[in-house]
Amino acid sequence: MKKHITILLILAMISSTLFAQNETETKEIDKPVRYVFASGQLIDNQTSEIAAKNTLEWVIEHRFGTMDNGTTDLFGFYAPGANIRNGFNYSILDNLQVGYGLTLKNMYSDFNVKYVALKQTRKNTIPVFVTIYANMAIDGRNEDAFGTDYKFSNRMSYFSQLIVGRKFTHWLSMQAHTSFTHFNAVDQDMNHDVIGVGFNGRVNFSPQSSILFQYDIPLKIQSISEQREFDAAKPNLGIAYEVSTSTHTFQIYVTSANGILPQDNYLYNSFDFTNGASDLMFGFTITRLWGF
Amino acid sequence: MKKNRILSLTVIMAGMFMMLSFINPQEQTQHAPWDIPQEYLDKTNPYDEYSSDMKRMGKMLWSKHCKSCHGNKGEGDGPKARQLETFPGDFTTEAFQNQTDGAMYYKSFVGRDEMPNYEKKIADEEERWALIYYMRDLKK
Repeated sequence: MKKHITILLILAMISSTLFAQNETETKEIDKPVRYVFASGQLIDNQTSEIAAKNTLEWVIEHRFGTMDNGTTDLFGFYAPGANIRNGFNYSILDNLQVGYGLTLKNMYSDFNVKYVALKQTRKNTIPVFVTIYANMAIDGRNEDAFGTDYKFSNRMSYFSQLIVGRKFTHWLSMQAHTSFTHFNAVDQDMNHDVIGVGFNGRVNFSPQSSILFQYDIPLKIQSISEQREFDAAKPNLGIAYEVSTSTHTFQIYVTSANGILPQDNYLYNSFDFTNGASDLMFGFTITRLWGF
Repeated sequence: MKKNRILSLTVIMAGMFMMLSFINPQEQTQHAPWDIPQEYLDKTNPYDEYSSDMKRMGKMLWSKHCKSCHGNKGEGDGPKARQLETFPGDFTTEAFQNQTDGAMYYKSFVGRDEMPNYEKKIADEEERWALIYYMRDLKK
């Protein structure tokens, strides 16, 4: 009896593989949707775009001072307190990118990885794209900044994010994301962990130009807090004009956060966009690609 | 005496500038004939229909990758064209438009010298042919 069952099982397996082969032969390949975003960056966020395999990308991000001084410092362009991040990304595969960046604020050195797990397809076999992004940052300030009980691990912070989005029409792409931020060491009145959500998009209005927007919210969740009472960091609102060419992307924007590094924005952002110019600042991002 | 010297100096200077105006600033060279492999010459556009999607894609790709040298209308007058040693060509002319699709394909995506290779940047076949369609539309 056992023998018969084994034979039947083997036959069933063979026949199922035969069916599977037939299916793949007749099925038309549903290709991924093109140009969901023009760049891997969307102001302070990541998108589902990764440059072709073996491409090096240089990312320069700049955040000027607040706009409240008006023409005195040209709306913050010439104000002190700017923040800068210089980063390099390398595409190991068409859907896997690794990178390193150095940010002026706290001299954060961040090592990051981005993986596009799913790509939206043209015939809707896969209706959304799914991207996973994670980084690990090392606070690069002098030891004095970490108090008396210094340990190297106090410098570390981590950020992980799941992004889900869709290109709805040839001119509109949107994505929503959720993230988890963890700092190994924070001040006594702060939390080590933050959960964030966000909503970003791109409105493409000419072959090369788009309007981008972002709204990232650090959530106030008492159950993961170590404090009896606390205020979550302020949301990061941003709107940008983007122009892209063959190897460059340029974004100029107004945002309400200056950390540049996502975990810093989610834990420490104190700029409240409802206050207007005193809590808003101009910034820009330039990316340059080199293919190998 | 002094007046005469100034006058003659002015005349000499004016003469020099006139002479200089006959010298052409380093002219761009015309490109040498292309050596296109037969397999490319035999290529034909597999997309029979120039759909609105392809039109949009062709225009976007032209703006993003080609316009800076080849110009808005393909006349070879883009802002970066002047820095090139070779004239990038006038795509509105009959001579250009009389080429086969395959020849245009090879020149556009394989390239040579100052014309970069675009096989990686424009990897999708449909996108490549959308761009060929777009270039066909540039004729006067």
